[in-house]
Amino acid sequence: MKLFINFSLIIVVSVTSCKPKFDIPEPEKGSADFTKYVALGNSITAGYADGALYYEAQENSFSAILAKQFELVGGGKFTIPFVNSGSNGISVINNNTITINAKSTLGYKTDCKDVTSLSPIKLTPNDNYNVFTTSIYNVSNPFNNLGTPDAKVFHLNHKGYGNSSSPYYNPYYNRIASSTNSSIIDDAKNQNATFFSLLIGGNDVLTYALNGGASDSLTSVSRFNQHLDTIIHKLTQNGAKGVVGNIPDITDLPYFTTIPYNGLTLDADKVEQLNNLYSPLGIGITFSVGANAFVIQDAAAPLGFRQIKSDELIVLGIPLDSVKCHNIGSLIPIPNRFVLNTTEINDIKNYTNSYNLKLQNIAQAKNLAFVDVKSLFNKLKSGIVYNGVSINAQFVKGGAFSLDGLNLNPIGNALLANEFIKSINLTYRSKIPHVDVTKFRGVIFP
Amino acid sequence: MIKKLPLFSLLIITQQLLFSQGFQVNLQGQKQQGMGGAGTALMQDASSLFFNPGGASFVNKNSINIGATPTIARGAFLDANTNQVSRTNSPISYPFAAYGLFSVKDSSKLKFGMAVYTPFGSTVQWEDNWIGRFALTRLQLRAIFFQPTVSYKLTNKLGLGLGLIYASGKVNLQKDIPIINSNSDYAKAELNGKANGYGVNAGIYFSPTEKISLGLTYRSQINMLVNDGDATFTTPSSVSENFPNGKFTSKLPLPQVITLGINYKVNNKLNIALDINHVGWKAYDTLSFDYEVNTASLADTKSARMYKNTFAFRGGAQYQVNEKFTSRLGLAYGITPVQNGYVTPETPDANRINYTAGFSYLVHKHFSVDASILFTHLKRTDTNIETQLSGTFKTNVIAPGISLSYIF
Repeated sequence: MKLFINFSLIIVVSVTSCKPKFDIPEPEKGSADFTKYVALGNSITAGYADGALYYEAQENSFSAILAKQFELVGGGKFTIPFVNSGSNGISVINNNTITINAKSTLGYKTDCKDVTSLSPIKLTPNDNYNVFTTSIYNVSNPFNNLGTPDAKVFHLNHKGYGNSSSPYYNPYYNRIASSTNSSIIDDAKNQNATFFSLLIGGNDVLTYALNGGASDSLTSVSRFNQHLDTIIHKLTQNGAKGVVGNIPDITDLPYFTTIPYNGLTLDADKVEQLNNLYSPLGIGITFSVGANAFVIQDAAAPLGFRQIKSDELIVLGIPLDSVKCHNIGSLIPIPNRFVLNTTEINDIKNYTNSYNLKLQNIAQAKNLAFVDVKSLFNKLKSGIVYNGVSINAQFVKGGAFSLDGLNLNPIGNALLANEFIKSINLTYRSKIPHVDVTKFRGVIFP
Repeated sequence: MIKKLPLFSLLIITQQLLFSQGFQVNLQGQKQQGMGGAGTALMQDASSLFFNPGGASFVNKNSINIGATPTIARGAFLDANTNQVSRTNSPISYPFAAYGLFSVKDSSKLKFGMAVYTPFGSTVQWEDNWIGRFALTRLQLRAIFFQPTVSYKLTNKLGLGLGLIYASGKVNLQKDIPIINSNSDYAKAELNGKANGYGVNAGIYFSPTEKISLGLTYRSQINMLVNDGDATFTTPSSVSENFPNGKFTSKLPLPQVITLGINYKVNNKLNIALDINHVGWKAYDTLSFDYEVNTASLADTKSARMYKNTFAFRGGAQYQVNEKFTSRLGLAYGITPVQNGYVTPETPDANRINYTAGFSYLVHKHFSVDASILFTHLKRTDTNIETQLSGTFKTNVIAPGISLSYIF
């Protein structure tokens, strides 16, 4: 029986030691120094989502995610200009210096046809405009995240960008500016950062595109290049290393892809009514039962309007009740500001390519890491599978994009942060672990 | 704008379901387990009903044999991208086997037997919120085989046997769905079903000389059919219509196994046995789930599994120390049927070596105790084509077993 006891002993010892062990690779910083990281960019860098700047989104910006991973390789504190954690979010309404917008959440909305469906619904703001004019800058604890919604490339160099008398006045920057006459780039430079990220240029095409090309203008390539040179020069002057991202093709964003060109669904009565009206005009506008191309304004068309082409885009900002119940897009052409026509789309794509060429070249010239953000967003169009999760660019259901159709959800930011990490690891031979994308959410469903 | 919202093309239950590892841990007999699982040509006791029905008629005495092999498996996963380690906290599983072998008359060449055993059955449970939660959180499988058997001693050198198998099983699969509500809870899917199937276990036993015996067996493929499974979804209320609870059907093939075994009796005390299994895992090329109610989010799924046929080699020695005590030692090598690109969290299978040992103690001329122990370690690094889960799985298995025999 002694043998039996020995045998039992073997079993007990083996059971307790049977947990598998791994040699986990040590994170390494490589040739970069992450002690002080500053992030420059626009709304994506700032952590703006669902149509507003709010606490959870700021916490989950790709730059905040990056900073957390940098901590594994010696990264220091990353100070974020948080709005209150209880805030419903803050967003500037054009030319309105009294009221503000809050973020949207997914909820039920009953439309003009009395159909209730899931839809983004704007919350009521629980802040007022003072939130933008009250400085939260602290000289002893400057902000590492200088990402500023609405910023274009040349805005970063603009002194007094947070000053309401400036032609480019940006209230988001007003909150965090070091002084009334400061610029974002100087606020960054004065921190003497050892590492920076720069993801800028999106608004140089987007602001134009958001209004259907009807207002604002595309930043000229020479202006873009000149200002980018200044920015990079100032950021690298002290020998800092960094990472530069290019800009996505914004026509891939759900804001532009959600409403189909042929979303005008007609029954026989409506078809007859519309054809009776349009066919005498002799401009080739006809309708049939089912899906039809919307009618849009076009100054170049014979009578100032025509049907939209299949490769032209309608923006998500269009008032949908007007389309559903008030004949917008059928009897009344959709105003130009809600449509990107072929010419505008081509301009956007060409400018984007030019900006991206410059971004890539300067990153190469300065031995900076370069992230092909455009390619990531393009992949999101068809979808990415990450550990069993399918993530794509479709509005709401795809998960990657927030309810504004332009900015990313935390899960999209995590994917973006991993692209940054990949490229940093490659350029600086660092070994920064990727972030676990499954820990970040997509759209919240009621 | 969003008329009928979520047409989630989530990889819902495109999943992964499989009875046991690619390499079957033969825990059907303590004596055989002590010898690496070899036993097709060495007739030990009533457990021969499983190992070779053809040789059961050569077992000298009637016997009843009941045993169990508690199996402890500790799994872990090192994610290649994030360096995160996730672990399983699977409960211990208890495969058991019960055999009764009888002859009608003492001198009869004909023996009857009944074998009840659980060749497949385990629970893989990953820790909460693990990195692969959207691929799998828990998989529980249980299958019991009932095998009435006849074995006939054709000559003093040759025996034939045939057993009919009725298999009854249960499956429960759970995973998270990447849809979150305002409480940060993820949606969940649970598939629960009963399965059954039929098969045969046939064997030939041939002993040309006193020293050498040979065995050849065929255990047929058994298609476990899940006909009336329950699919249950827990989702935010706004998308519950897209994930209706309902019935599903599925099919899980348990592979055919052809085994050639040889036993060499070195002397009256020492036996050396070797078995070679050919396992027909190629049958498991696709896993499909057919939902009774489909929606835009819940489509029937077909997942490539692409298993390949494999071999396993099992060898061991048995030494009779004295009249009462016999000791055993064994080794087995199994080649995984899971090809690169198809490794999943519920079967993180790999080529493996089993180390086994065991002993028997004859307490009384009518009563003996058999015990055995098995260790194995699996390590597999892969990126799954379907889920993109990429990293290294490790599993340590220890399976101590004991059985009691009544001999008459």
